[in-house]
Amino acid sequence: MLDEWSAGILQHDPMQLYRAKRDQNHRSVASKYNILGFISSGTYGRVYKAQSLEDDTVHAIKKFKPDKEGDVVTYTGISQSAIREIALNREIDHENIVSLKEVILEDKSIYMVFEYAEHDFLQIIHHHSQTLRATISAAVLKSLVYQLINGLIYLHSCHILHRDLKPANILITSEGVVKIGDLGLARLIYEPLQPLFAGDKVVVTIWYRAPELLLGAKHYTKAIDCWAVGCVMAELLSLRPIFKGEEAKLDSKKNVPFQKDQLLRIFEVLGTPDEKDWPSLMDMPEYQNMKRLDHFQNRLYDWTHARTGNMAAFDLLQKLFIYDPETRLTAKDALRHKWFQEDPKPTWNAFHTAVSHQIPPHRRITQDEAPSMVPIPQNTSHQGAHGMIGAPFGQTQSKPGSSASFTSLSGGNPYGSGGGSSRKKARLH
Amino acid sequence: MATDYWASSHFKRWIVDRAALNQARLEDLQCVDDPDYLDYLSIYFAQLITKLGKKLHCRQRTIATAIVFFRRFYLKNSYCETDPFIVVAACCYLAAKAEESPIHIKLIVTESRSLFNQEIYSSRGFSADNAKIAEMEFYLVDDLECDLVVFHPYRTLLTLCRQESTGETPSEEGEALEFGVGIGSDDGPRYWGTGRRPTRVGAFCLENCMVVMPPLPPHLIAIAAIYLTFIIHPPTPSDNESAGETPSEHSPPTTRQPRRSSRQVASAQAASQKKPPQDTVGFLSELNVSLPVVATIVQEIISLYTLWDRYKEDGTPESSRARDLAANSPGTNSNRASASAAATPGMEDSVTVDADGNYITPAFLSSVLQKMREARIMDLAPTRPAIAINKRLERTQAAG
Repeated sequence: MLDEWSAGILQHDPMQLYRAKRDQNHRSVASKYNILGFISSGTYGRVYKAQSLEDDTVHAIKKFKPDKEGDVVTYTGISQSAIREIALNREIDHENIVSLKEVILEDKSIYMVFEYAEHDFLQIIHHHSQTLRATISAAVLKSLVYQLINGLIYLHSCHILHRDLKPANILITSEGVVKIGDLGLARLIYEPLQPLFAGDKVVVTIWYRAPELLLGAKHYTKAIDCWAVGCVMAELLSLRPIFKGEEAKLDSKKNVPFQKDQLLRIFEVLGTPDEKDWPSLMDMPEYQNMKRLDHFQNRLYDWTHARTGNMAAFDLLQKLFIYDPETRLTAKDALRHKWFQEDPKPTWNAFHTAVSHQIPPHRRITQDEAPSMVPIPQNTSHQGAHGMIGAPFGQTQSKPGSSASFTSLSGGNPYGSGGGSSRKKARLH
Repeated sequence: MATDYWASSHFKRWIVDRAALNQARLEDLQCVDDPDYLDYLSIYFAQLITKLGKKLHCRQRTIATAIVFFRRFYLKNSYCETDPFIVVAACCYLAAKAEESPIHIKLIVTESRSLFNQEIYSSRGFSADNAKIAEMEFYLVDDLECDLVVFHPYRTLLTLCRQESTGETPSEEGEALEFGVGIGSDDGPRYWGTGRRPTRVGAFCLENCMVVMPPLPPHLIAIAAIYLTFIIHPPTPSDNESAGETPSEHSPPTTRQPRRSSRQVASAQAASQKKPPQDTVGFLSELNVSLPVVATIVQEIISLYTLWDRYKEDGTPESSRARDLAANSPGTNSNRASASAAATPGMEDSVTVDADGNYITPAFLSSVLQKMREARIMDLAPTRPAIAINKRLERTQAAG
């Protein structure tokens, strides 16, 4: 006969046996990694620098924000963005894409352990514009763009749209290898069950957003990533965003407004698009709004010429900035572009030709201003009690000592004020 | 879905054999009277996922993904230590996200409660809330090792059948549609809605073979489904001559060549469009796949039908669908020959239903499951952890 205890379990907590077994076998983040410090944060959560306790390798751990109802952390379901990033990263494997080492699900939070990259495109741009006050050397620039496109070809060959390419999301290891990161907005586009716009109303950070998106296209293609590559390349050339528009915010009903300012910034450089060059332009939902804007001539040549005398670079930019997504250069064709055949040739170590001062300083890490990622001891004992056949949870590293390492390692940094988020904010004005 | 199958997590980590499948059921076997019940539980829960999915207006692919998640979960866990109803709900919730067509958790909870508390399931009051389902999702993702991209046979089926039907006369259109009606569960728009028989029947086979079979390569499942269709519904009389020979005799089985993607197979097929459109043997031999493996899958499907014959849901025997297939199996000798040549022991007696009408029903399986779980928890009683005992102690103290 069932006793009260057993019946209670079956009735009120039917997964108790399962949970206990799982929690017992769980290896915690703290037992595997030593958290060295905090790198940056965003809407998704926070990123930490960590060292493996097994092999001393350094990683970036992305911790998704746990959901909260009031002050209590509860399970509310994993976000679509986290599901995407996890699902896609488990399938892909490429030299120029940040690789996922493992995912740890622990205490209602998701931790994604990535390979660590010391730099990113935004850092390079800042280092050159603020510290060196000089342009990025042609060899470095070309290598960065080449590797970026190489990674993008891989994503596109897997039918994955990145949908958020921008300097902050493109990382570089200290060996000079470009790594495309942050697949939080990326998605598979092969045989979608729903139209692309149904899931996400807005994709791509405004400055890197392709004209078809700005004009309200309901369907879009890999070409939106290629546009973003053009924007990134131009930004590496000029050290500031080429189309730096003001984003019109969603209204209270979450309708996407007409992005007038961003389109004007684009038209100022590339001229007003022409129905002859872009046949489907007239079908764009925002076509009428666009027609009301002032008319501009294309002056991309002047723009490029002022920054580089290289005609091949101009040609590549021009082709990445073709208005019609159907005819815009694909990633594959971009990689075959003559600019990459010319000297200086791109190198697999983008910093191959760079002298040490041209390489930005190491990523700054700080003490986490929010409650530490490392569980505090009380928390730990609570964890143990939670599991029924409870093995103690994260025991090894959850002592206060580990948080002391935050300060000791956050070395001096000549620029910027802190993590990625503050830098991002600083750039907006 | 779209990345290369041969580089996918599906191929690398989730194609397992019978042995692994049996291994996964060891704990359950200790708690169950008849090992067959475990297979019926598979049918039961796959059906339940399909029902829940339809109530949630999920597309077929989402439902299929949910079933795959469920099966993968029970490769690592036992029925007797879990509440499969919560797992079912979490699988649907997660699959909808994985297939980029998310459903709000509230809706999942509402629909699960109304479905699982129906009398035919006589489950003891399903009362899971948002937090329980979300918690289950969390553990589920971990057990799935974060491998959320799943490949399904539909794609191969569609590719091959499209190929096969190009340039052929739609002579059997009417009949095909008729058969389509008989499929029953086939409502709503489908990718393979070309009205062509191979696709229809194939799709039907697929939905069934998702259920009990070990996780096998999806493209081979598709080919097995097509093969079975050819046997059950011989395309045209003129093809019977060649159909008399078994495919394996006709074309010596190629050694395992799994390094070719189904797309390549398809293009290889496209190159030989001159063939008469419904040359069964030719069609199968042109495919550069391991026919022995396909034969194994066919056997799995057929033994599934035998099993299914005793399963009954909603008053009408589920097996009627399987019998439909078998009954339509032609009496012509050549086809019978090819059927038995495919080593189909289940085929002959697949129509026999228990004379006493002893069907396996969901309600019965629910009680089996309940007993298994009770048995398991009793087993664990001696090793009951201190914390739980303390709680009980507290309660007794509070009471006394």
